[in-house]
Amino acid sequence: MKMAWKEMVKFKTRYVILGSIIFLISLLTMIIAGLANGLSYDNASLIKDIPEGTFYMEAEAEGLYNFSGLNEKNRAEIKEAVPEVAFFSIQMGELESEDGKRHGVAFVNSDGSLFPRVKEGETIVDDSLMESAIKEDEGLTNRLLDGELKVDTFVEQQKFSHSPVAFVDRADFDEMYRTDEYQIAFVEGEDAPAVAGLERYTNDEFMNTIPSYSAEQLSLNMIVVFLFIISGMLFAIFFYMINVQKIAMYGILKAVGVKTATLFRMMWAQMAIITTISLILSVGLSQLLALIMPSTMPFMLTAGSASMMSLVFIIIGFVGSSVSGIQISRVEPMQAINQGGV
Amino acid sequence: MPILSVDGLEKTFSSANREEKVLKGINLEITKGEITALTGASGSGKSTLLTIAAGLQKSTAGTIIFQNEALTDMNTRQVQAIRAKKFGFVFQHAHLVPFLTVQEQLELMMDTAELKWSKDRRKEEIRSILDLVDMWGHRDSYPGTLSGGEKQRVAIARAVVHKPEMLFADEPTASLDSKRSMEVMKLLRTLSRERNITVLMVTHEEETLEYADTIVQMKDGVIGKGLV
Repeated sequence: MKMAWKEMVKFKTRYVILGSIIFLISLLTMIIAGLANGLSYDNASLIKDIPEGTFYMEAEAEGLYNFSGLNEKNRAEIKEAVPEVAFFSIQMGELESEDGKRHGVAFVNSDGSLFPRVKEGETIVDDSLMESAIKEDEGLTNRLLDGELKVDTFVEQQKFSHSPVAFVDRADFDEMYRTDEYQIAFVEGEDAPAVAGLERYTNDEFMNTIPSYSAEQLSLNMIVVFLFIISGMLFAIFFYMINVQKIAMYGILKAVGVKTATLFRMMWAQMAIITTISLILSVGLSQLLALIMPSTMPFMLTAGSASMMSLVFIIIGFVGSSVSGIQISRVEPMQAINQGGV
Repeated sequence: MPILSVDGLEKTFSSANREEKVLKGINLEITKGEITALTGASGSGKSTLLTIAAGLQKSTAGTIIFQNEALTDMNTRQVQAIRAKKFGFVFQHAHLVPFLTVQEQLELMMDTAELKWSKDRRKEEIRSILDLVDMWGHRDSYPGTLSGGEKQRVAIARAVVHKPEMLFADEPTASLDSKRSMEVMKLLRTLSRERNITVLMVTHEEETLEYADTIVQMKDGVIGKGLV
């Protein structure tokens, strides 16, 4: 450890360069992961905030919630199997505020046990609509609805498919969409029974039925994975270059009896020091960014996610440097003795 | 009783289309506490003999017995442990670690030999050996700031700081001028006498031979008749 530190201090420039690159890559990875999480939450916070459980949709809908319809018979069957079932429907639509502006929303109607209860003629909306100057008690209209929906209150972070959610009563929902069926049933817990004619989905599976959700997440997660791979290769290449320059020294140290494991430990210590310093800086800066980023830019990076990513970086650094360290085990003392040296 | 004995040692280097026998059945005994010099023309096999005796490369046939143990029968880890604890090495070039000070070079060797010395004992030993090689004043210097002769003196101090039984020196004066060469040879003799260290040395410089107790003349992979 002492030798590792001494070398880093003596040849600061090369290690500062590597540290800077690792810092930038890890910061970029954390920013993209934060955006992926933020977008995911912005896309589906309505579903993300539901506890883990099982969603039921009509099998014929083939995973498209807006094509699903649970009739009286289906609902009775599920209720008989699991009495604590909750039913709800989601439809994309719009609301017009008093100033004449139209706002895209996701109407959600439930039987009341999973989402907030709403009286007929009223609505509870996501607080992002406050930014569009919508106020409590304001009357909102919809072309498919005869009356008004008065804003009862606002709820925090309830979005679906990037649209703010508007919870409405069943009567208002039926009037707008001419249906008396619920689309989805939800049962908390993993042991939900199978029901004939219905398909079961986990929370993650259900989220992937949201249009654009999986495509969006897949692209961002792919970038994150590539950044991890790049950083691993960077470690391998950097330590390879450094090790090539130190072949003679390693040979002599081996000749005088230094164990190969000691030389590996020296390299791992250097990797751990560089990675730890870089990660402390990038986690700190990414948390700062989370505080100062505008609300229009969805960014969410919890301390838990940041720690998990840091751990992945350390493991990748360890693997990358170890792969390049294979050279160390191959160095023959005679090779170094026959060369010149300091 | 010899500290190291070589019996029927052979070494053949093989390449794709030819084989070259460099050592052809060497028999040799090294007496404890003496300086033995291996000398001979270039290609006579003296450096190969020294490096095999020091466990730095394997022989093709024959045995090497060090303190009643067959070095040639040991595995890599056992040989490495012997090199770390009982052997010291001085090469043609000093080969110091560029990012360690003079004092740290010696500490590294003590750590490698896994010595259980107290902090005070370590300091004392470092002071004593650096005084002997006249490098105490340079204890905080890095190799890059030292002259060739100074580096070689540090290399010698590093080779003996852990009190090895044997010191292997492969042309230790080859990169130095004649004045510095004599200083290094005097130093090796002092160490051998004061610390009872057996020295096996390769040299092709005649003036350094006067410091040897035994001179072994090598020619074409065998020990010549001019043994002194």
